[in-house]
This record gives sequence, structure tokens and C-alpha cells, in this order.
Amino acid sequence: MSLKRNFFAGVDVGSLAAKSVILEDGKVFATGLVPSGFDSVESGLNALNLALETAGLKKEDLTYIVGTGYGRVSAPYANKAVTEITCHAKGANFLHPTVRTIIDMGGQDCKAIRIDQDGAVVDFAMNDKCAAGTGRFLEVMAGVFKVKLEDLGALSLSATELVPMSSTCTVFAESETISLVARGEKPANILNGIHHAIANRISGLFARVGITSDVFFSGGVAKNTGMKTAIEEALKVTIVKPEIDPQLIGALGAAVLARNFSKKQGLWS
Amino acid sequence: MVKTDLYEYPPELREEFEATEAIQFRDGSSATAADVWHFMTEIAPKRYPFAYTQKKYAGVRLSRDIHLPSAIKNHYLLLTMNDRITRSRENGAPVIFVQGGQSVDPYYAAGGIALRPASVGLWARGRHEGLGLNEEVVRQHKQKEKAYHAISFEACQTAGYENIQEGGLPIDMVAPFTCLRCSDISYGVEAHRHGPNKAVKLMNIDYPMRHQADKTWAVEYFAQNLRRLTSEIGKLAGREVTDADLSKEIRLHNEGRRLAIETAELWWSADLPPTNGVDRRSLYQMGGMEVHGDPSASLTVLRESHAYIKERVNKGIKAEGVVDKPIRLFVCGSCVFPNDFRIEEAGAIIVGQDNHWSDISTLVEEDGDPYQNLAHAILSYPYEQSVEVRAAWTIEQLKKSRADGVLFLYQWGCNTQSAIARMLCDTIKRDTGIPTMIIEQHEGGSEQSEQLLNRVNAFIEML
Repeated sequence: MSLKRNFFAGVDVGSLAAKSVILEDGKVFATGLVPSGFDSVESGLNALNLALETAGLKKEDLTYIVGTGYGRVSAPYANKAVTEITCHAKGANFLHPTVRTIIDMGGQDCKAIRIDQDGAVVDFAMNDKCAAGTGRFLEVMAGVFKVKLEDLGALSLSATELVPMSSTCTVFAESETISLVARGEKPANILNGIHHAIANRISGLFARVGITSDVFFSGGVAKNTGMKTAIEEALKVTIVKPEIDPQLIGALGAAVLARNFSKKQGLWS
Repeated sequence: MVKTDLYEYPPELREEFEATEAIQFRDGSSATAADVWHFMTEIAPKRYPFAYTQKKYAGVRLSRDIHLPSAIKNHYLLLTMNDRITRSRENGAPVIFVQGGQSVDPYYAAGGIALRPASVGLWARGRHEGLGLNEEVVRQHKQKEKAYHAISFEACQTAGYENIQEGGLPIDMVAPFTCLRCSDISYGVEAHRHGPNKAVKLMNIDYPMRHQADKTWAVEYFAQNLRRLTSEIGKLAGREVTDADLSKEIRLHNEGRRLAIETAELWWSADLPPTNGVDRRSLYQMGGMEVHGDPSASLTVLRESHAYIKERVNKGIKAEGVVDKPIRLFVCGSCVFPNDFRIEEAGAIIVGQDNHWSDISTLVEEDGDPYQNLAHAILSYPYEQSVEVRAAWTIEQLKKSRADGVLFLYQWGCNTQSAIARMLCDTIKRDTGIPTMIIEQHEGGSEQSEQLLNRVNAFIEML
């Protein structure tokens, strides 16, 4: 007798990147990560196809797909859409069941999420109108210093001092940074100041929802080691180390939910 | 431009609808159900195609709960605002701009028509015919920007300035109660004072602040303000206003308020939601007697609807498109609310709002001096009290409505509600354990942004 294998996919279409994770038997089987394009349907499919290709699977092999992220409303390939807040909670809980607080910093927003032992959201807060602490903000800063986005963290950690920043507004911070450079401040020190200013700013979100250990950092910005260090200092916490790319946590949570939903619907047992 | 793909009421509904009651207007005229059906199926689709949009999330679209007569009649009254208000004004009824969330008994007692900012917008909207949804939204935005230019781009709302000062609506008087609920009224009143339209008379009905309902001086002072108000409107209407006029009006408005309270209690008691969120809101709001610019018309529809809701609740009839056991959300804050269609799609429903409900659910004593009674009631509005008192009242509404969560929304730039939101939500959370969420909103359009949707959907998922 041959047992049918069940694969579940989560597709997270964000403002900067589209991500997908395929799960099998409670294990990450394959992943895909591509830049988001203009067409969010196409972006999501590209990420999904990449993961399918890596896994050597076809779309028909998937039992259930959950779409998440801002592109979830345009995901005809998905069986269900869920917000990324719920998905990040499930994803972090899947990797680390002891996690109770999540900092998610994505391309266009920043979230503080508190979860319970089952990975259900207990409370959350998001940045409202301000882009401080988002991937887009850091992209602008990388542009000012003419360095790659992924090099910002390491550069910031090489700082010898912290240059205070008076504004975390993306537009004002850019002009302030340009004038600091013109005054001869070292890029690493300015970046150190920027990361700490943002960390202090987003700590306000945690004043609302509270912090309980363990703390997890997800989203594309979580790859920035300078930001991770600044947040650990601002919140006085130690962030747990993720086993997979933290940018994939939303897609992972979506895949976990795909497994749960499809089981509930009796699609497998 | 030829509009295509518009929503059409099913023709087979006609007979059933035409058997429902006529709408009685304040001037003694009426519209039979057949008149309403004719307007809504033949005339309005040509004059106001935006309302017939098939876009499922468009906030202005017609309710699809077609077996609830009030749903169609409410739209009829909203789409005939321009025709009716223009005609009434030509017949000598002055039109007065008031604030949202305040009662309008004294304005009507003196022979006027009271319109809050949203209703002024509806009147203005009716003057632009043949527009599709996007054209109508663009028109509104253009008008709004004119007002922001004149007032301040930091104003949350614009107190009807775009229509009264810039849009040429013939408003006779700007006379709101100056309670603190909205910071735009202070911006707006000042802007009207300096606006180009000098024909608009300005009058502030000075509202004693800081929980004064039980202070004799405050009740007497506000009653004097109300006398001044009815006297001034009476002058515009060319009539003398007696105490008996106000007493009669209070009785009429109390009937509306009582019906709205009874309808709400029925709705809240139901196992299955008897209406969708949009129709629920319309029904409750009719109890404020302001929304259609004609209290008699609102009352006719509310009376008929009450019977329908009772029947639906008794028979366990659920509104179409609503899930069986939705997450129940109560909305706090002024001016803005989330998109009902999107909320219902996510498996939730809005069961109530504190804003207008504060004045609708405050009955006025009918025996004794009508001015003193009205003043006492108005000074008792829970929404205008200290945060502790407002929170206690809100908690009472949450229990009655069996709410699972609270969304506090306010418009960007609203200096009042933004200051209150956190304390109110913290108190609710502390005393009831009900989860709350605060959202600052600053957007036009008809379907609500992804940013807002994301927060609300995540909140619903959390609940």
C-alpha cells in the first residue's frame, strides 16, 4: 500500500518580496523568494513556482494553499487568504513553540505581535502612518550611503559611536543623513544612530502589547544584524535565532495554516 | 458617458415591495411604495448610477437585502435629498448646518431643516447627476481639497465648508452645538466666519463642558441658548416658535429614539443577524431623525422596519450574505467606520457604534419646560462626558450588543477622539477583557485601503 504524500504551501506576497514555503509532514520541504513585481498575482506565482521547482513538484501536488501578505487579496491560486499577522504568529510558533512575542519588520510596515502557546494572536499593534522601521525606510537609507541593503547591518555594527538622529520620518531622515554626511560624520556611526532611533521608535508598539519571552524577529528587516542588535538593546531582550530565513516566516505560517485548514476540511488525515 | 453593468432590482420583487407602506413627509405629501419602486428602478439608475455599482466593496452601493423594505426606502430617501431639500427650502424652510451626533428637535420645532456634515454632503451629491462611482469619488475629493485649502490641510474634516462656502449649497445658517466631540467644528465654524459666502448666518449654541448635566446653571444656560436658536430659525422661517411647538417636536423625536432603541434591542437579542451591517446602521441612525432631512419620513420607515425586524428575529431569519455566527464588533469614535462589506466577508459584523447612538439613545423628558428638558438631555449625552463616564456607558452598550471586540476609529487630525481613544480602550479592556483596537484613518475612496483592511482583518482573525 502506498500512502499519498501531502504538501501544503504558503505564499506571502509583500510589498518588496514574494515568498513561498512548502511543508510536508511538519517539515519545511522547499522555499521560494523573489522580488515583488508590479503584478502581485504573478509575483506570488513566481515565488510558488520557484518553491515547486526546488521541490520537484507540480502545483497539482499541493493539497492546500494559503495566501498572505498585501497580495493575498489577489491570489487566485490560493484556497484561502489570511492576514500576515496571523501567519507570522503561526510561523514563529511552528519554529519555536516557546515564542510569545514577535517583532515583524517588513517592506512597508512594522508589527508587534503577542501570541499564546498555540501560536494564536493575543494582541498586536502596527505602525500607522509612519514608515520608520520598515524595509522601505532602510532601502532609502542604503540609497543615501550607496551600499547594498544587506550590507547596512554589518556597516552599522562597525560603528565606533552613535550619531543621534532627530527624525525617523523617511523623508526628513534622508535629508538629515545627507547633512550629517556633509558635516563629516562616518556612515557607520550615522547608520548606528538610525538603527537605534528606529528601535526606540518601534519600542512604542511594545508598550501597547507588552513583551513576554521568548522574542522572535521576523520579516526581511530581521536579516539586518545592526537592527537586531539595536532592538535587543532598546527592548532589553535577547532575540531567538531563527532556523530559516526570517523573511520566510509569514509564508511558513501560511503553510502551517494550509495544513490545519485542509485537515479540518477532511482533505487528509 | 453611458453607464453599463449597473445593479438592477429583480423585477419579480416589484409586487412584494409595492404592497409595503408609503413614506409620509413632513409637508403632508407622501410617496407610495410604487412611487419609490419607480424612482429606484427607472429614474435613479440614470441620475445616480454610482449607487448602482456592482463593485462589491463600494461603500455607497445599494443594499442587496432586497426583502427588507427599509433598505430600498432608505436609499430612496438618500438619493432624493437634493430634490426634497431644495423644494422644502423654496417653500420657506431654512436649512441649518449642525454637528453630527447632536439631536435636531429644536431646529425642526422652529420650522427649519437640520443637516449634519454628512447630510450636507448627500444634498450636494444629489446636485451632480449621471456620475459613475469613480467620477463621483473624484468629484467629492476635488470639493474636499477646496475646503482643505481654505481651512487647513491639517483639519480632520471640513465642516461642510466645501459645499457651503465653495460649492454654493444654499445653507441659511451654521448653528452647531459647540460640544467637544469633533475638533473640525471649531476649525469649520471659524472658517465659515471668514468664508466668501456672507449669506450664511453663524450661530454657536454654547455647550457647557465637563459633565454639567446635573448643574442647574448649565441646564438653564443651555436652555437659553436653545431658545435663542429656535427664535433665530423662527425669524428665518417667518414664524413665532412656541413652547408647544418644541414639546410636540420632542414627542415626535422621542418616538424615533424609542423605536431605534427597541429595534437595536431586538437586533442585539437575535441569534442570527436579522440585517447586514449597513442596514443595521441605517435603521439605528433613523432614530436620530436627521439622516434624511425629514423626521416624518425617517419615522415612517423606522416604524415599518421595526415590525420587519421583529418578525425576522422571532422567526430566526438571517440577513442574506451574513455568516451564521459572526464575530461581533462595536465601533467607537467619530466620523469614520470600517467597510461593512469587507468586514462581513471576513466573517464579522458591526453591531453598533457609540457616536450617534449617544444622542439617539438619550430620551428627553416630555413633561415640564421643553427647553429645560431638552437642555438636560443634551448635556447628558454619554459621548460628551468624561472618559470614565463615556467608558462606563460604552461598556453597557458592549454588554447589550454582545460585542466580541471594539474598534476605535478616528479621522487623522481629530484632536478630540485621538486623545480619548487610548484611555477609553484601556478602560474597556481592563473592566471587561474585551479586546480593542485603535485605528487612525485618513483616506477617501469608496472601498477602503489595504492598510486599514489588513488591521481590521487581523483583528477579526485574532478574535
